[in-house]
Amino acid sequence: MSNKVIENLYYTKSEEWLKVEDGIGTIGITDYAQDQLGDIVYLEKIEKGKKLKQDETFTTIESVKAVSDVKTPATGEIIEANVKVIEDASIINKDPYGEGWIAKIKIENKDELKNLMSAQEYSEYRKE
Amino acid sequence: MKLIFEKSIKGRDGYSLPQDLFDNIKIEECLPEYVISKDKKLLSEVSEVDVVRHFTKLSKFNYGLDDGFYPLGSCTMKYNPKINEKLASLSNFIYAHPLAPEETVQGCLEIFYDLNKLLCEITGMDEYTMSPAAGAHGELAGILIMRKYFVDHGDIRHKMLIPDSAHGTNPASAAMGGFQIVEVKSNEKGTVDLIELAELMDEDTVGLMLTNPNTVGLYDEGIEEIEKIVHNKGGLLYYDGANINASLGIIRPGDAGFDVVHLNLHKTFSTPHGGGGPGAGVIGVKKDLIPYLPTPNVAFNSDQKKYYLSDTAEKSIGMVRAFWANFSVLVKTYVWILSMGPDGLYNTSETSIINANYVLAKLKNYYKPAYDRYCGHECTVTGREYKKYGVKTLDIAKRIMDYGMHPPTIYFPHFEPYAEETIMVEPPESESKEILDNFIDIMIKISDEAKTNPELLTTAPHNTPIRRTNDALAIKRAILTYDDELKLKDELKYQEKDIDF
Amino acid sequence: MRYIPSTEEQKKEMLKEIGVSSFEDLIESVPQCLRLKDKLNIPEAISESELEDKIYRIAKKNADFYSMKPLIGAGSYRHFIPEAEKFLLQREEFWTCYTPYQPELSQGTLQSIFEYQSYISRLTKMEVIIPSIYDGASATAEAALMSLRLTHKNKIIVSNLLHPHYRETVKTYLAPHETEIIDLPYKNGLVDMEKLKILIEEDVASVIIQSPNFFGSIENMAEISEIVHSKSVLLINVIVESMSLGILKAPGEIGADIVAGNAQSFGMDLNYGGPHNAYLGTRKQYTRQIPGRIVGETVDVDGKRVFVMTLRAREQDIRREKATSNICTNHNLNVLAANIFLSLIGTEGLYQISLLNTKSAHYLENLLLQTGKFERVFDCPFYNEFLLKSKDDVSSINKKLLENNFVPPLKICEFYQEENMNNVLLFAVTEVLSRDNLNLVAKILSK
Repeated sequence: MSNKVIENLYYTKSEEWLKVEDGIGTIGITDYAQDQLGDIVYLEKIEKGKKLKQDETFTTIESVKAVSDVKTPATGEIIEANVKVIEDASIINKDPYGEGWIAKIKIENKDELKNLMSAQEYSEYRKE
Repeated sequence: MKLIFEKSIKGRDGYSLPQDLFDNIKIEECLPEYVISKDKKLLSEVSEVDVVRHFTKLSKFNYGLDDGFYPLGSCTMKYNPKINEKLASLSNFIYAHPLAPEETVQGCLEIFYDLNKLLCEITGMDEYTMSPAAGAHGELAGILIMRKYFVDHGDIRHKMLIPDSAHGTNPASAAMGGFQIVEVKSNEKGTVDLIELAELMDEDTVGLMLTNPNTVGLYDEGIEEIEKIVHNKGGLLYYDGANINASLGIIRPGDAGFDVVHLNLHKTFSTPHGGGGPGAGVIGVKKDLIPYLPTPNVAFNSDQKKYYLSDTAEKSIGMVRAFWANFSVLVKTYVWILSMGPDGLYNTSETSIINANYVLAKLKNYYKPAYDRYCGHECTVTGREYKKYGVKTLDIAKRIMDYGMHPPTIYFPHFEPYAEETIMVEPPESESKEILDNFIDIMIKISDEAKTNPELLTTAPHNTPIRRTNDALAIKRAILTYDDELKLKDELKYQEKDIDF
Repeated sequence: MRYIPSTEEQKKEMLKEIGVSSFEDLIESVPQCLRLKDKLNIPEAISESELEDKIYRIAKKNADFYSMKPLIGAGSYRHFIPEAEKFLLQREEFWTCYTPYQPELSQGTLQSIFEYQSYISRLTKMEVIIPSIYDGASATAEAALMSLRLTHKNKIIVSNLLHPHYRETVKTYLAPHETEIIDLPYKNGLVDMEKLKILIEEDVASVIIQSPNFFGSIENMAEISEIVHSKSVLLINVIVESMSLGILKAPGEIGADIVAGNAQSFGMDLNYGGPHNAYLGTRKQYTRQIPGRIVGETVDVDGKRVFVMTLRAREQDIRREKATSNICTNHNLNVLAANIFLSLIGTEGLYQISLLNTKSAHYLENLLLQTGKFERVFDCPFYNEFLLKSKDDVSSINKKLLENNFVPPLKICEFYQEENMNNVLLFAVTEVLSRDNLNLVAKILSK
């Protein structure tokens, strides 16, 4: 089973990760999530400029045998969607923390980040 | 194997036309030019011999119930009696036009009418409709009846409660019925959590859809409590009859307080699955809901001693299909009930429950049961223990095929933390102890293989006409017709290997 | 019991192995107060020979339909079915198997579905075919729902000449969504084009048109398509007699966005109304919103061409309440029947049957007009069904036909109560009626 965890990212219980740089958050799904989904075949179109609340679903990932909602770990506005992944969603399987990122968001409220898990906390959560 | 198109030879035919083709009439005299197709629609050109061999060969790539054990959980793959087929194929039935005058179809109508009475008695309901074509179709009709009932009483409700263990059709049907779905969690016993149910059930909720025994094969222990919780808030109870094979002659949903019931005649009532239908999803209701049943229904005029199609229900939800029902499926069901009688029906449930518990008892040291209790007519175990050897439940299922059997249902039901990597075995009453023993032996052997030679499982099956399929490629390429294939042929990197034997 | 192999002795043995003393211990969780106290009050079991007698007796209460020639269609057509099809359909491997979730054990079913999708795609000239919805009416309702999802609108226009059962089924399916359904009236036996032009607005999701329509008339679909597509509205073309595709233009040629077709004519018995089957066709760009199962081609680990159920993430078992439909068990064996049937009749057979049905229907219409007892109701092109207004009372006509072993035509007033529809009959003709049969009909009705 694949279950890689990367340092310096925030994690959610619904298996998203968030990287924060200069107030911009990059969102993706965890290695565990991509492994559970299996062959990912489709990422639903992402609406740029859409304002989202923390935990709100903004797209759906489909694999051959499953569907999963992707939620935003932080409140804010979507400023970019990963066009490459929308074209070929299998990139998420290959590189969930790198090339397989899903969207970028302009973070509105940094205080919310404390609701998220650190890499270490997430690792422990996964072990349970 | 070659497609029928690849066997086509120009000029061959497999059909004989009548002698008189009305050649003296010109088509241009009948139809204006703008409606006529410019070219002939290309099918294939093969002889009757070609067709018979083609489909006979295709059939050999299938595994059917008459080939052997088929323990798909939640599917009730029981023996399909041969007399049912013969009697459903009588010429007076199969050539009967649905709009033929009523006096010419009294036989058909009698079967509708009689079967309705029999199903009412078996399930404790007051009236059935035969219209729905399948289980999910029955669910939709049942949900629309519930909706109409509330609308009619000026009580607009928006939510439907559905346990997390339910078949996917339940939430999908409720959504088609315009309801918002509220999930009810299962407890550690695998059944509906009564405290949560009581919290969720309110006066904006139409009711609860319940499968009993549920999809894990367990009887809901608090059925009386559930009934009270739902009815006290004015809700209605919907019974998904997918698993009623465990209840015949033991308990009737009507007596337990259910207001709407659907039955899958292609499961418990022995009609064949046909590789995905046709079945029938008849629904039964309590008295208060009769006015809302789909139209038409069959009634009997005792003065004239005549059956007739009654279309008078003003409050009906309307038609859910063209014409009346999957009639030939009804004939098979009728024949089965008459061949079983009350003792046979009880024996059916008793034997299927013993079978499932026997399998559970024999397997539990090798595959951990999802729940430590006696089960109904199907048992749920898990393949979790073998993950550490790199073996998934899928691999176990594929390996079963190598032993010449159809695997059980896998990964359903799925809800954390109890039901993960599930293997759900349903051994219906038509399976003998010897068959079960053989299956148990194979399962134990596979558990041993998983530890000692996991690769044997992860690369299985080895002995089937084809091996594991690339499902992601199917989606990526989206070759949905032969013409799609022709278009993409140049890009295809593989050589077709014929799998003719 | 011959369907339950375990003996009482074996059951006892199994109970012992389970570790309980009686069956009762296994069903403890079923509350005693809800248990059935007595056995079910249904007739005691009867033997196979008694059963045969009983059902034969019931069947005899029907007319002898085999020898009765139908003059009725109205959504269900008796065509000749070659014996090879019926023989092949009885192979247990097709008949008794489950939905092909395990492709390694179901290539027979899967390849057959793929071939059928290919046939229907060629017949309708649509790119994507969903092979199996229960019947034409439910397929039309699914098409309507699909158009709502695709357009995010909630208003549809439905031709008044769509089969009445289909119209009602659409209404039933759409009721919870509070969709506005606008009735498109007819004029001279065809949809009222002027009215359509007025009704068509940007807020309409789709327009549902049956052709040949319920009166048998062939609609001018190209013109309808032009009107519908003058706004961003989808055209749903319903085909109730799919055999007509042998000669008529394909929906794909005249601009249909979704096709809902009743496939009963392709090798399915009348069966007093079911089970039959229907297909849906659409364009590739709409694939994500299609309901139901579909089969695609791929390869296995050895690189062999194989077939699998595909695009599954739309379906109820995966997507639950967000699925594109709740459909699960469908009418798969009927797909096989249709596939075998189309393989047997082939390119030429389909064309000839379609041609013959057209010609013999026109032959009968002409004969009946010549009797002087009938007149045309409308003057429009028809395929194999047509309306005639009788000068005599239609009930007595139908009685005469019945006495002479014909299933009489439909009294159209059962569905259309307009005044001019009194004494109007809807005749249907297929290849099961020979020239002699048709001459006899005319002779009976000329008296």
